[in-house]
Amino acid sequence: MKTALKASFGLLTGWATIWSFTVPDVAAFQAPGFARIFLWHFPCPMLFTLLILFGAWNSVRIFQRIELKPFCFMPESDPAAKASWDIKAIACMELAYLFALLTMATGILFSQIQWGWWWSWDPRQTSFLMVLLIYAAYFAVRFAYSDPGKRAAFGAAYALAAVLPTLFLVFVFPRLPPIANMSLHPTDSILSGKIKGEYAYCVILILILFTIMAVYLYNIRVRTGLAEFELENNDAKLDAGGDTAPTGVVRPVSLSE
Amino acid sequence: MNSSWRVEILAIFRKEWRIEMRSLSGLVTAFLFSVVTVYAISFAALNTHIPPTVVSGMLWVALLFSAASSLTRTFLIEEELGTADLLRLVARPHAVFWGKALFNIFQCIVTSVLVTILFLGFTSTQVIIPWLFGVSLIAGCLSLAGAVTLCGAIASQASNRSMLAAAIAVPLLLPLVALGVSGMRVSLGEGSLSGGGSGAAIGLIGYAVATLATGPYIFAAVWKS
Repeated sequence: MKTALKASFGLLTGWATIWSFTVPDVAAFQAPGFARIFLWHFPCPMLFTLLILFGAWNSVRIFQRIELKPFCFMPESDPAAKASWDIKAIACMELAYLFALLTMATGILFSQIQWGWWWSWDPRQTSFLMVLLIYAAYFAVRFAYSDPGKRAAFGAAYALAAVLPTLFLVFVFPRLPPIANMSLHPTDSILSGKIKGEYAYCVILILILFTIMAVYLYNIRVRTGLAEFELENNDAKLDAGGDTAPTGVVRPVSLSE
Repeated sequence: MNSSWRVEILAIFRKEWRIEMRSLSGLVTAFLFSVVTVYAISFAALNTHIPPTVVSGMLWVALLFSAASSLTRTFLIEEELGTADLLRLVARPHAVFWGKALFNIFQCIVTSVLVTILFLGFTSTQVIIPWLFGVSLIAGCLSLAGAVTLCGAIASQASNRSMLAAAIAVPLLLPLVALGVSGMRVSLGEGSLSGGGSGAAIGLIGYAVATLATGPYIFAAVWKS
């Protein structure tokens, strides 16, 4: 059953790829043929935004309320539960960063072909680069702590602190009147109905395929993370066990005894 | 505000004040860093008329880096001197955050005002809309102090804490710099209030409120980790 689903996903992705190359040209673009990169560019920031919000939600869950007094917001004492939410949070953030890099790469390519520069300091490009820097700092916080508990807590704190600036940079900043006037990047193509017909159907299909792929990768990352956590826990239990050797291990015996 | 909260917050603020007054290290470092930056920028543009957008950009860069390098000290020094555990025992997390944030706000405003006066003098720039200039500067200082205090706490227990604190604070403050530059350039005579100046001022105030409102909760969650 699983193999059949994977095969169907592969076939559908192949068909969507071919379809994305055969949709009609959009005459409004300088290089209408190359404008098709939009079909692959658009789903990436959508998934990025959803994943960072889901990552922030998982980060909130790391800090469970255990006291109901006002202003008491203490970390949960159960390390296994904390680790599980942390693994989910980092899985979201890693995938979100992957989609952010894909957004940036496809955007830069589009910029070169349509506007003539790899980097044109367009407000959209600039604000998205700021977002990339913010999440690079999130990974810097995680790398700075070797203790898993502290890594989870401080990483989650930074992820929560980063939500507001990120939402501002993604949704508000590019739409501010003076900024929007300077930008070559369209801001309301979907809401104003400029994307329609075959283009719209194709972009929706690719968005669905990317979402399925993101869910699949997220599950793999979470399962791997939980397996690693279990393995480390088992190693720690064995280390704490003193002379008790696990079954099946032969210990050397001194000849003098 | 409940009196016990006020007592705790003021006690933390007084502690920071006394430590600072013993050495004046934070104020002097921040001020020197900003003045040298301002002087270097002004010297680089010797006898050249600098447009308002560039002036506001340069001023914000100087303020950003001086805040990121000096305001993070308040938490880093607690871990370095080994007094953080004592602080965890005697005060509630929100009181610790507010006490330190208030001190950082005070330090940031003092440094910013002095640096701004010097910078405007060096570059012979006139302020056309003083209220907008003041709002940009004060709201910017509130946001800078709030965000940098939180980043200092997040980085305080890492091994490379000083570098990490500045490295994680700067990306979080980039949107603030964008808003600050938009507001300040209008106050210096480029652009109009309706064309983004008042929007930037509202954005800066909103950013400051959001940073100072969410900061204590995030800080409280990690303070006892």
